[in-house]
Amino acid sequence: MSEKISVYRFMSAGCNGCDVQILECLVPRYKLGELGVEVVFTPEEANVLAVTGGINFKGKEELMKSYEKLKSPKLVVAVGNCAATKEIFDKGYPMVGPPDKIIPVNFYIAGCPPRPQAIVTAIAKALGATLEEKEGYWSTPEGFRGKHEFDSEKCIGCGACAQVCSSDAIEVLEKDGKRTIKVDYGHCSFCAFCQDECPTQAIKLTREYHLLTNDRSTENVTNEVDLLKCVSCGTYFIPPRQIDWAIERVGEKVGAYKEFSDDLKETMKLCSDCRREISAVRNAKRLLAQLSTKARAS
Amino acid sequence: MPEIIEIGPYRPQLLEPERFEVVVENNRITDVNIELGYVHRGIEKLFTTKTYTQNLALAERICGICSGVHTLCYAQTAEGVMDVEVPDRARYLRSIYMELERLHSHYLWFGVLAHSLHDEEAFLRIMGEREPIQDLFEYLTGNRLNYLINTIGGVRRDITPEKAAKIRSVLKKMKPLSNYLMTLLDGNGGFTAKTKGIGILPKEKALALGAVGPTLRGSGIESDIRKADPYAAYRELDFEVITEEGGDVHAKSLVRARETFESISMIEQALDNLPDGDIAVKPGEPLVKEEMGRVEAPRGELFYYIKSNGTNIPERVKVRTPSFANDFTIIEMLRGEPLENARVVIESIDPCFSCTDRLTVVDAKTGEKRKVRFE
Repeated sequence: MSEKISVYRFMSAGCNGCDVQILECLVPRYKLGELGVEVVFTPEEANVLAVTGGINFKGKEELMKSYEKLKSPKLVVAVGNCAATKEIFDKGYPMVGPPDKIIPVNFYIAGCPPRPQAIVTAIAKALGATLEEKEGYWSTPEGFRGKHEFDSEKCIGCGACAQVCSSDAIEVLEKDGKRTIKVDYGHCSFCAFCQDECPTQAIKLTREYHLLTNDRSTENVTNEVDLLKCVSCGTYFIPPRQIDWAIERVGEKVGAYKEFSDDLKETMKLCSDCRREISAVRNAKRLLAQLSTKARAS
Repeated sequence: MPEIIEIGPYRPQLLEPERFEVVVENNRITDVNIELGYVHRGIEKLFTTKTYTQNLALAERICGICSGVHTLCYAQTAEGVMDVEVPDRARYLRSIYMELERLHSHYLWFGVLAHSLHDEEAFLRIMGEREPIQDLFEYLTGNRLNYLINTIGGVRRDITPEKAAKIRSVLKKMKPLSNYLMTLLDGNGGFTAKTKGIGILPKEKALALGAVGPTLRGSGIESDIRKADPYAAYRELDFEVITEEGGDVHAKSLVRARETFESISMIEQALDNLPDGDIAVKPGEPLVKEEMGRVEAPRGELFYYIKSNGTNIPERVKVRTPSFANDFTIIEMLRGEPLENARVVIESIDPCFSCTDRLTVVDAKTGEKRKVRFE
């Protein structure tokens, strides 16, 4: 694109964190000016629409109006995860977004919020320019919460991360004897609860933050683990590594039961449905025995 | 003939959308209607679908500027529900993080004010010099905003001696910025002429309309939750509640500028006296009870109410944000002002519409949505 890039910012039903980041892009050190990019305040002057927020019933019409007023060629960038998936507000009743349901969206910048560095680099990338990332503030500090990474050696496939996830970004899918843990980082609020709660420290938030894409379906990180068949009914139900892990914990916590670990392992190979059935049979037998003793005594 | 002019929701270069219907007669504003709802996300309902811990991330995303203070207020209220005592070190760390947040919020506000006053030079300088605080947050917590540092029972990340040294070095850079703000606001400073005598909120009106925070303190009333109902480490920290007489935009600006010095001093005191010990304790089970909590956010008093039914999901969470309390004062301040001052006056309360938009009034009988209307 040879002509000047003018960005108009539109926000509805977000937390304004991303808006602040876009405002910060204007600071000289991020070199937005060098790219020939300006931020304008009416859609008529702009050819790029930066959308933030998940769009609620009130913002929908305004968004459509703003998009129509945009100069051609129209380019729409969804900044932040709310604009891609509504993120943590996904199930909120007034939400009618995400924006790509209402208008065509060309690019998505993931993050909550994305760093100004990520936004500026994304714009440069769209323009085919490269930015020098020499100064210290381009790199992320230790402990930064960026894109996720699985350690497939460590992951036991328990799905604890999906349970604690604050914005339903982690899914547990089971198919053909495999369990897949799927993190949609375009839906993630980067709270790092998954990292904190993972029993084997298998999931980590890395320092990677340049998360620009034009295809939402690529915005995920997955890990696959094998599943074990129930010895009784033959349905897949638990990853064998989770059994090993549980046995180890039992041994650690209750040393006295260590000798039963083989028995434990055998019982754990039964799925919960089968276990329930067998215990029901046991209970019934015990009851019958008690009844017959009572009957004989009387 | 009175003329009705619409400001917003997306036009007036406000950071966030909100619509003001301004009635103008002879270029003087006679009445204002405020229409909310462009940022409404149904958060209070969402609170009752997530666990206490997950709600921390939700509370934080009510507002992306004063995000930390929302988690603090939520966590404090939830600690009441779970009967948890926070360790001393965590209390101090909370004060440090929250004062850093006040700094970044106040500086950002000055940046936006400079923008409203068409002072590009001041805008770029304030925003540029403010960046180290954002970098500092990234270094301390792992994210620039929405840092989720407070948790139920304490804080999530500690401040090591190296981190403390880094905070001190950043604070050294912030003092010149605060001094610069003071020069902008003194007798012949760039901001003074454009803000003095504009948007006056008299003392009695400020109280009657329920204003909070710098908006109230700018009208000469001493009101600060950090002093009135101390939380975190504020009981042990020495600071002054800043007030200014006048009630105009200038007075409110001066309150915020002077508060930045107090915040810097408070962080330094807290770093000097940081106690040893744990940074968090594990919370217990939620009890069946109702709990309320309040803190002083950068914009004023923030209030949370939690009703627990003993499960791991709260039954009801109610939030009252400072911007919602302050919104009503805009009408009073705008009356009699020329139209060109409208934007500066609206900005003067540091409105945060992300905070405000959690309420839609729906008429139960007709199902009609009612605008929040003031006459």
